[in-house]
Amino acid sequence: MFEERVAAIEALAREQGLDFFLTTFEVVPQDIMTEVAAYGLPTRARHWSYGKVYQSQRLYGTMGLSKIYEIVLNNNPSLAFLLDTNTEIANLLVAAHVFGHVDFFTHNALFANTNRQMINDAVTHAQRIDGYIERYGLEMVEHLMDIGFALDRHIDCHKGLVRQPYPTRRVVEKQRPTLPYDDLFEPSGTSVTYVVEGDKFPPHAEHDLLWFLITYAPLDEWQRDVLQIIREESHYFYPQFLTKILNEGWASYWHAELFHHYRDVSPNEMIEFARLHASVVNPGGRFSINPYYLGYSILVDIEKRWDTLHAEGKSPLTGREKLFEVRRSEDDISFLRNYLTTELVQKLELFAYGAANAPRSSASSRREIVITSRERDAIVEALLRPRYNYGVPHIVVKDVVKNELYLEHVDRASSYLDRRYAKETLAYVAELWKHPVHVLTCNEQGHDVDLTAAP
Amino acid sequence: MPLPWELRRRGLKDSLRHDQRVKDAIRKNLRELIAEEAIITSDGNKKVKIPLRYLDQYRFKYGNPQSGVGQGPGQPGEVIGRQAGDGDGSGPAGDQPGELTYEVEVPLEELTQMMLEDLALPWLEEKPERQVTSETHRFTDIRRKGSLANIDKRRTLLSNIKRNAARGVPEVGDIREADLRYKVWDTQEEVHANAAVYMLMDRSGSMTTSKKYVAKSFFFWMVRFLRHKYRHVETVFIAHDVEAQVVPEQDFFALSNSGGTCCSSAYRLAYEHLQQQHPARSWNTYLFHFSDGDNWPSDNDKCKSLVDTLLQHCTMVGYGEIRYGDDASFYGWLSQTEHAPSSLQSVLRTIAHPRLLSVTISHKEELYQVLQAFLQPRESAHV
Repeated sequence: MFEERVAAIEALAREQGLDFFLTTFEVVPQDIMTEVAAYGLPTRARHWSYGKVYQSQRLYGTMGLSKIYEIVLNNNPSLAFLLDTNTEIANLLVAAHVFGHVDFFTHNALFANTNRQMINDAVTHAQRIDGYIERYGLEMVEHLMDIGFALDRHIDCHKGLVRQPYPTRRVVEKQRPTLPYDDLFEPSGTSVTYVVEGDKFPPHAEHDLLWFLITYAPLDEWQRDVLQIIREESHYFYPQFLTKILNEGWASYWHAELFHHYRDVSPNEMIEFARLHASVVNPGGRFSINPYYLGYSILVDIEKRWDTLHAEGKSPLTGREKLFEVRRSEDDISFLRNYLTTELVQKLELFAYGAANAPRSSASSRREIVITSRERDAIVEALLRPRYNYGVPHIVVKDVVKNELYLEHVDRASSYLDRRYAKETLAYVAELWKHPVHVLTCNEQGHDVDLTAAP
Repeated sequence: MPLPWELRRRGLKDSLRHDQRVKDAIRKNLRELIAEEAIITSDGNKKVKIPLRYLDQYRFKYGNPQSGVGQGPGQPGEVIGRQAGDGDGSGPAGDQPGELTYEVEVPLEELTQMMLEDLALPWLEEKPERQVTSETHRFTDIRRKGSLANIDKRRTLLSNIKRNAARGVPEVGDIREADLRYKVWDTQEEVHANAAVYMLMDRSGSMTTSKKYVAKSFFFWMVRFLRHKYRHVETVFIAHDVEAQVVPEQDFFALSNSGGTCCSSAYRLAYEHLQQQHPARSWNTYLFHFSDGDNWPSDNDKCKSLVDTLLQHCTMVGYGEIRYGDDASFYGWLSQTEHAPSSLQSVLRTIAHPRLLSVTISHKEELYQVLQAFLQPRESAHV
């Protein structure tokens, strides 16, 4: 019965233009749900930090503070988890929601290069790590993973997962080809220049700290492998990080839309559906916006606007067609910049807030939070700030001098680091690098400072 | 074939691992924990619940104050809350995992072990008569049956090789039930010399609740330590104001305060008691006294001579003076103005004896140092 209804919704979704990988559902108890959510993948290698998340989520779950309704994995075929204690209608809503997500995974440009076999690969990762634990002991492997996780967001998503080492020092002869109008200025012929490659190490500011350390730090093979596993999984999760608002908005838009077309629902079920939908896209609190709600509101707004434009002959795309274009080509940064309009900001009553500029001397007293702006641009920036650069400070490898590693905190003009965390993390880097490591950052007053850690 | 993920219970395993790492962290922060009220006030057998932060995972993160996007009415510049701090929820919820706390249950026994494993009664000597014992376990024998946890891998492999060799196959492999060898242990009693511990506490009016708390905390850990480490140690509890009396353990920890201070009464009672019960020829006697030092000046000389006598009979005498900067006691008040040692301590300092240890404690956080100072394992240079 349930399976048939899911199949009916799936058919409806495909009819409406969604196109997604084969999706299988697993109905599991709360505990497994919590566990999968804590690990992010049902087959991932063990680490105490997942246990910490699991424990706190379980605590919140048993106190009835939060409930995980759904987990869906970007994989082909895709795998989704449903809660066995949910009502049938709740799980149908979740299934419809899941089809939206899988369509998003399948077609959003950012996901084009993600590993669609991650569930399987994570199993082999876990087996390899288990092997290292057996061989080198839990403490050692765990500690290395601590270091890996501390740096796992410092990757370069544009350069990608697979990279070649920097070119070694050599002189390259570069010929400039003859251009059509060269004869007007110079006597004809090719000009030859000599370029020294690999003269500087690294040749450019390196954003992928983890790759740099894996490639150039004096590590054992197994250590490189453990760090590479962490780097790989971090790459896999990056698109999901950068499309949270759009992806959840898209899935919410579609569960609502599919239930609009789905006929096989009793009146009682429809009431429950409406109640659940309202809780999924609830606005959130005074200090935080529910990303489901924000994404959903923007998408509904886009559809309405483009339907009007289309009717007026100003756009070749209908509202629905426009939505599919957005789903294919945007991430959260471009999505908010392009489509969170001044009107919508006013309608949703959004504001940016921050700490009041109280004197910094009284560090112990808690600062007041004030509304800083109701300007659209400031609000978009405030929404985007935690989404830039995988949500972490922008830190690059700048130089290596006499084996000492020089890092630079690039966005230090607008932010500063938590000093205690920076010191501990820097010590991690020094441990891998086995020579002193420096980072150029700034203090609370905005003056440049140099932090150093030695192994 | 790996287990299906339903059966692995990784979440549980890894959260146990997290717990273990938390306990390691406790071990590193013993000094902060040792004066924790929740522990002292719990009765002996229970598990202690300690509120702990989840372990930090370090990474580069911003230190800037909170900012974000909210919704609802209000004008720019309007105050809408306070930064999340300790407690009330009038500001944005903290999203840093470091701010979450949870309670971990540690059996008191385990906690005692963690805290006190490096401590021992100093100068413990062999005495001819009754003995103090403590138990240890040691693997002593190899058998064919046993618990799998105690398997002796080396001998199992050896017997496997032997059996294979007998069959003419010179290699390891085809391990059977018959090859398995297990280690078995024996309980061995380690014999120590006899020991008796006298615990003397000032209960006079000047011993405020916070001071008494320090004294009681010390004795609490002392008792835990003795019970944990030594099987048969005799304990004697003496409370005094102007008069002293031997009290049962429960009463000792529930004493209220009143009256003046006359420390010699306690020393005299202790001396009489130990001459009857714990003569020096067969007992190592330890005497610990906690007071705020606010003794009657006329009593000080008596104290000095009594402590001199006690030192001839005791293995060690420890005196802890609790000196909070408060006005409840004369010397507490005096020490606010200038750093004058209190009367009793200055008197005791005139006795130069290696086994008279005198310490000052002015914060409950210093408790661990005091325990360490008193209970350092010291070998006796035989006299």
